[in-house]
Amino acid sequence: MKPALPDGLIVVAKADCPTCRLVEPLLAEIAQAGPLTVYAQDSAEYAADLPSSLYDKTLEHSFHLGIEFVPTLIRVENGVEVERTYGWHKEDWRQLTGLAELGEALPVMRPGCGSKTLEPGISEELELAFGDIRLQSREIDMGSAEDPMEACFERGWSDGLPVVPPTPVRVLRMLKGTSRKPDEVVGLMPPDLVPVTVEKVAINAVLAGCKPEYMPVLLAALEAALTDEFGLHGLICTTMFGSPMIVVNGPAARAIGMNSGVNALGQGNRANATIGRALQLIIRNVGGGRPGEIDRATLGNPGKYSFCFAEAEDADWLPLAQERGVEAGRSAVTLFPGEGVQGIVDQKSRDPESLARSFALSLRTVDHAKLAMAGDAVLVVSPEHARVFIEAGWSKQRLREELEKLLLAPGAELVAGAGGIAEGIPERFKDQQVPKFRPGGLLIVRAGGTAGLFSAIIAGWAASGSVGSSPVTREVTS
Amino acid sequence: MIHSIVLDPTAERAPAQRARLARPASLEGKVVGLLDISKPRGNVFLDRIEEQLAAMGIAVKRYNKPTFTRIAPTELKQQMAAEVDLLVEGLAD
Amino acid sequence: MHDIADLESRQIPGVGVASSEFVQAAALQSKALGFDPAMVFVPHPIQDRTDDEMRALADGALAEILRLLQSGDAD
Repeated sequence: MKPALPDGLIVVAKADCPTCRLVEPLLAEIAQAGPLTVYAQDSAEYAADLPSSLYDKTLEHSFHLGIEFVPTLIRVENGVEVERTYGWHKEDWRQLTGLAELGEALPVMRPGCGSKTLEPGISEELELAFGDIRLQSREIDMGSAEDPMEACFERGWSDGLPVVPPTPVRVLRMLKGTSRKPDEVVGLMPPDLVPVTVEKVAINAVLAGCKPEYMPVLLAALEAALTDEFGLHGLICTTMFGSPMIVVNGPAARAIGMNSGVNALGQGNRANATIGRALQLIIRNVGGGRPGEIDRATLGNPGKYSFCFAEAEDADWLPLAQERGVEAGRSAVTLFPGEGVQGIVDQKSRDPESLARSFALSLRTVDHAKLAMAGDAVLVVSPEHARVFIEAGWSKQRLREELEKLLLAPGAELVAGAGGIAEGIPERFKDQQVPKFRPGGLLIVRAGGTAGLFSAIIAGWAASGSVGSSPVTREVTS
Repeated sequence: MIHSIVLDPTAERAPAQRARLARPASLEGKVVGLLDISKPRGNVFLDRIEEQLAAMGIAVKRYNKPTFTRIAPTELKQQMAAEVDLLVEGLAD
Repeated sequence: MHDIADLESRQIPGVGVASSEFVQAAALQSKALGFDPAMVFVPHPIQDRTDDEMRALADGALAEILRLLQSGDAD
C-alpha cells in the first residue's frame, strides 16, 4: 500500500553518492524555508542533524516514489507530486525550492548516481515486499541444512533431473513474461482436477528452467492440453506410451529461439527442452500425475521428460497451424499425444511417388501393422525429403491424400488371426478396404537439419478421437 | 547453508514438510535393522531391543556406524537399504 | 536424524532413539532438515547407567518404538 506523500519538498539521497554529499549542506537552508523530508537510502548518517531526515533502510519510500537516481528532489502539493528533478542542476533546484540564491558556491550541474532501488536483485525484492503483486502459493522454508537443489528432489518435485529452486524472485521474473494475472485460472489440471493458476505455471516454469519469454507459448500449450478433446486425464493414466507433445508454429517460435532444424526432436535447445519439461512438471506437481502412482505406463517414452519442437516453416509447405485454421503470421501450438520417434530411412527415392510409398509402408506399423484407426500419427518430413515433394509441386495435402490411398489395406489381411497373428481388427471388416488412420488422423510437419534423407513418424496414443485424444491447436497470446 | 524460501509448485494438498514414509500394517515377515551410532552404552540398549524383537519372532539385523560424529557412510546406507525393511537408530544423547 | 532422513529417501521407514536431553536439538535439526523423523526419547542420563538400567530403558521404550514402526496410529 502506498504511503501518503508529505507536502513540501522531498529529497532522496545516498551517503555513498558524491553529488548527494555536495548538496547535503544545502538541506538545512531548504528545511528552514518550508517542510522538507529527506530519505537516505544507505545510511542513518546522511543529513542526520535534520529532524525530518529518515533512513529508508527497507527502501519502501524510494520504491513507492519510483526513484531512479539520487539525489532526487520532489515537490509535493496536497499529497500529490507536482514536479521533480534529479542530480544537481542549480537552476532546477532553485526553481523547485523557490530559493533564488540556493547553492551559489556550487557548480552549475553535477550528475547524480543510480538509486539503490535499481541495484541488481533489489528491484524484484522490493516489488515483492511493497508492490501490488500478491503471490498466493505457500512459502516453503528450505531448512538451513538442506541444499535447495537436493531439497527439491526430496520433496518429489523433480522428473528425475535437477530442477531450479523456485524462489519468489525467480517466480516474479517468470510472471513478467506474461501479461496475465498470477491468480488467473488456466483450467482444471488432471488427474486431481486442481485449478491451475498462472502463478503455479510460473513456479513450474522456473523448476523447468524456462525463460520468462517462454510463458506465452507454455500457457497456450497448457490451455490446449486442458481441453476436453485432448483427453489429458486418460493420456496420463494410460498404460501405453504417450504423453503431451508440443509443436510450435509462427513468429513466436523464432522469437524465443526454438529449434526446428538440426536435431529438432532432440536435446540442446533451451526453449524446446524447458517448455516441454514445464508442461510435464505441471502434470506431476499440480495435477498429481506421477509414474508408479496414477501414471502406470508400462514403458513410457523419453519424450515424457520433454517433447517440444518448432516446425521449419522456411519452405513452400503450409505450416501445421495454418492447415488447422490459424491465420498466417500468427503463432500457435498444437498438442499431440506423442509416443516416441520411429525413423524412416530412404536415401534412394528421387520422385514423390516412390518416397510416398516408403512413408506409407513405414506408417503401416504405427501401433501394429495389423491395427487400423487406433492411434493418430505425426509424419515429420525432413527438408531433404520435403524438397522431393515440393519440387514436384506436391503440397502437404497432396501428399496426405496420396498416403491415405496407399494406406488402404484389405480387411482380410488385418483381421485378428490373419497371418497367424492373434492381434488384428474385428472380423466384420474382412471384406472392406480399411484405412490405416481415421479421417484427419495423419498430421504432417516439416522439421530437421538440411542434410539427411531421413524422416520420422511420431505415433499417437492408440486411443484417438472421442475415446481418447485428438490433436488440439491453440493460438499463442500473451 | 543459508535459509532459502521457495514457492510451492504443487497443488498444496499435502503438508509443506516432507512426510514420513508410510509404515507397514504389521511387522510380520519384516526385517528390522538396528543401527548403533557408537555412543557408549547404546549397544546394551540395542542388544535388549534385539532380544525383545527376536522373542516376538521379528528378524533383526545389526549395524554400526564408525562414529557418531558423522553421518553414516554411503556404503553402509546402501547395505541397510538392501537388507532391511525398517530401521531403528540409537542411542543419541 | 540425518541417517533416518536418508534411509527414508531410500524407502526404509525409520525411528530414532535419543535421550530426553536431545529433545530441543532434535526439534532444531528437524527444522533444518525440513523433515521430522519419528523419535523416541528415553530418560536422561545414559552414560552412567548400569547394564540392567539400560535394559530397563529398552523395555520401557519398546512399545513406542513398535508403535512408530507400524501404521494404524496417525502421527
